[in-house]
Amino acid sequence: MERGKLESAALFLTILGAMLIMPPLALLFQIERRFLGVPAEVIYLFVVWAGMIFGAWWLGRHLPRDRESETPEDDG
Amino acid sequence: MLSADFVIATGIAYVGLLFLIAYVSDRRARRGKQSFLRSPFVYTLAISVYCTSWTFYGAVGSAARNGLEYLAIYLGPTLVFIGWWFVLRRLVRISHNQRITSIADLLSSRFGKSSRLAVLVTVIAVIAISPYIALQLKAVTSSIQAIAGARDFGQGSLAGIDDVGLALGVAAGMALFTILFGTRNVDAKEQHHGVVAAIAFEAIVKLAALIAVGVFVVFAGGGFEAIFSRAEAAGLDIYSSENFDSRWIAMNVLSVAAIICLPRQFQITVVENSDENHLRTAGWAFPTYLLLMSLFTLPIALYGLTRMPAGSNPDMFVLTLPLAADQQGLALFAFIGGFSSATSMIIVESIALSIMVSNHIVMPLVLRFTQGQGVGGGVSELLLNSRRFSIALILGLGFFYFYLTRDSDALAPIGLISFCGVAQFLPAIIAALFWKEANVRAATGGVAIGFVIWAWSSFMPSFESSSPLVAAIMAEGPWGIGWLRPEALFGLDGVDPLVNAVFWSLFLNTATLVVASLLSSQSSLERVQATLFADLFHRNGRTTGAAIIRGSATSDDLFFVAKRVLGEERAKALFATAAEEAGVIRSGPEPTPQFIDRLERELAGSIGAASAHVMLSKVVSGDAVSLEEVFEIAGETQQVIEYSQKLERTSTELRSTAQQLEEANQRLRELDSQKDEFLSQVSHEVRTPMTSIRSFSEILLEEGRLKPEERQRFVTTIHTESLRLTKLLDEILDLSALERGERTWENVPIDAEAALDRALEVCTALASQRSMRVVVGTRAPRALVAGDADRLCQVLINLVSNAIKYNDAAAPVVEIRSSAARRRYVIEIADNGPGIAKADRKFIFEKFARGEQGATSVPPGVGLGLAISREIITRMNGKLELVNTGEPGACFRVTLPLPDARTLAAAGTADGA
Repeated sequence: MERGKLESAALFLTILGAMLIMPPLALLFQIERRFLGVPAEVIYLFVVWAGMIFGAWWLGRHLPRDRESETPEDDG
Repeated sequence: MLSADFVIATGIAYVGLLFLIAYVSDRRARRGKQSFLRSPFVYTLAISVYCTSWTFYGAVGSAARNGLEYLAIYLGPTLVFIGWWFVLRRLVRISHNQRITSIADLLSSRFGKSSRLAVLVTVIAVIAISPYIALQLKAVTSSIQAIAGARDFGQGSLAGIDDVGLALGVAAGMALFTILFGTRNVDAKEQHHGVVAAIAFEAIVKLAALIAVGVFVVFAGGGFEAIFSRAEAAGLDIYSSENFDSRWIAMNVLSVAAIICLPRQFQITVVENSDENHLRTAGWAFPTYLLLMSLFTLPIALYGLTRMPAGSNPDMFVLTLPLAADQQGLALFAFIGGFSSATSMIIVESIALSIMVSNHIVMPLVLRFTQGQGVGGGVSELLLNSRRFSIALILGLGFFYFYLTRDSDALAPIGLISFCGVAQFLPAIIAALFWKEANVRAATGGVAIGFVIWAWSSFMPSFESSSPLVAAIMAEGPWGIGWLRPEALFGLDGVDPLVNAVFWSLFLNTATLVVASLLSSQSSLERVQATLFADLFHRNGRTTGAAIIRGSATSDDLFFVAKRVLGEERAKALFATAAEEAGVIRSGPEPTPQFIDRLERELAGSIGAASAHVMLSKVVSGDAVSLEEVFEIAGETQQVIEYSQKLERTSTELRSTAQQLEEANQRLRELDSQKDEFLSQVSHEVRTPMTSIRSFSEILLEEGRLKPEERQRFVTTIHTESLRLTKLLDEILDLSALERGERTWENVPIDAEAALDRALEVCTALASQRSMRVVVGTRAPRALVAGDADRLCQVLINLVSNAIKYNDAAAPVVEIRSSAARRRYVIEIADNGPGIAKADRKFIFEKFARGEQGATSVPPGVGLGLAISREIITRMNGKLELVNTGEPGACFRVTLPLPDARTLAAAGTADGA
């Protein structure tokens, strides 16, 4: 993917992540049911969390590298 | 058996270990061996200073009291880090470029190096962080007491000391430790490699400890299933229905703000960052760390609630659960983990705050007091001392807050007070990064209003238990004004107090920032800085606010200042490098604006942007050019540049006109020579028949004794030649009329197929005369094109008759086909004759060009037919070409556009040329 798309994907990932953990989407998983003994909403939040981490990992590898910012060499 | 003495001794030993790590790392860094310290993972672990005792102890308490709520504190930072590309990357880049040392420095620098804003931010930060420091003191105190209280004989030397005394001891110890740790030298970029290494180590310890306790709890509780089932059976609400309410949103907003605005997070994430690309790793690794830290919180809380006696403090479950199960080693590990969380937070937070206090409060005071002259004794020493003092002050404030609020017991609410306080910086930071129009008055106003509302609605209520006055205000409002009640501000009753405080403070803060920015204007310096900040990535190379100070300061003056702030050694090195770059040896570098700007940024690294600016301005103020003047000069220059650009444009236009004239002249000359050539060709063509006519008529005139049949033959020849001559002249006239466009030409809708039929009819006779087969291939249905039917017929006859005439094959065939597709109508006329020699193909459509004749007896044509045909077809907007089919013989193709009905209808009236 080219730079513009990758940047857009990063923005989308962030906004989507924010929406997923907020009501009303998060409320969809408040269903008083348990998976593997754990309430559904807890599982849901951790899955979203892991998904965001994976997305950030992938984007971190693909987002373009800028030239190293010109930090003047340390004189001390 | 664990005793309080043993635990305290362990804690002190642990601190010693930290000190050792910091010392070794610092020495390695000093010797340039930073490979390990500069790894992105050390950076990420250091960022985990976000997880304090609040996380270690308080999250379990929060989960026990409010369910899933604790997760919001970690989801917000996760969002900020997965979106690192947008905010954190900008922050890091700008801070590297501008040598930013703290969050106060950042805001001050962006808003025109304003000292007032820097002071305000510093004061707010110090006040807002005091609850957070208190939280750590409380957690450490409680954890020591939890262990000591577990056994009667465990009190040891703590016997008789209450929690206040213990907290005071902890605070004093921490202050001493931090001073030893963080203020040994003033670094160029305020980077503390040793501290970072120690913090990274602590991050590993606290994670390992929490996971160890978590695994123990899951194991002891018989797995997740059993823990949750037992909790449900015990009547605990494991599906809290209030999980995703307004409080959840408010906490997410706060944690987003906190991960950016907390002074210690800014210090680690931005100031200590040595490579921008480390964010790439931290972007996913830090959220992973947070996830691991929160993984076992809920099981520990639920297990604790079902196992521990009612009334026990859930904040201490991490410690008390292993103790209750008599797991002494694990309990000690947990204590060290909690201790790690507290120490790392206190160290980094107080270093960050002390930098702010010394750079933005102490330094400006000193500068004002000394009028920039007698900063004796070196600024470095002064800076270090003011930092030491600041650290003591910050921990003192923390302790004071702890003392006043010692009766409230939960950890998490205290932390949220701090979060809400520092969140007031967020609108200004976002504006600094993205909004060029924001100005210093608006930013100062917004932050101040947010701070006041926070202090009223969030900070003050925490003293409810210790102050009757506060309690009264909380209940009745000040002077009985109900709508000013802190937890129901402006009559917003019935919402959670936290939501109330967060909403009003951030809303009014942002509104003030935006409205005031729109209503007031920026100073010039601010405009420069705003552009530097907002257009960060649009610039090539680093652009700075250079040339702001120009003056008569000598290199010596500057060196004097630099020496005071940076110390002799670094100042010398800096000046030597600059002199070397400028090519000046032995004397100092010229005090050029660039050098002064560089020096200012260098000083800013130590004492903050505002102070550095003031300091240098004082030294070089002799005939400093004001920024307004610079802008004026720049404006004039701009005008001159524009004028010269205009001149240049005009001259370019002139050049291009001359060029066009030259080309036109060239073209005329070519046409002239073409005309001459044509005339000579025509004369030549006319001459041949004329010669034969003349010679035959001479014979007829002179020879009287000719036989009648001979006479007949001569007369016939003269006649034929005259006909040929007439035809030639006709065609020349026709062609020249066509070419010069003398004849009116009308393209009307015609049926091209009908024209083709007519042409075929005419040619059939000629074909049968030469016993030739005319094959009609596929034909298009009725094809309406815009053109002249007679002319088209003329062209087709010409082509077909050419194909017939010059065909000398044994079984001569001419094939004619037509088709209509994709808006094009195509007629192809192919024969199996000798074809056209390769060399002739190019010229076949030229005037008087004739193909190499085969061995035919046909008299040669005049060589204008094809030229006329092409001219005609061009007039009809079509194309006549010789196509190479790969088969023997020649194939001519006529292509005409098939217009749609509308164009066709219009064609009748248009195009008269």
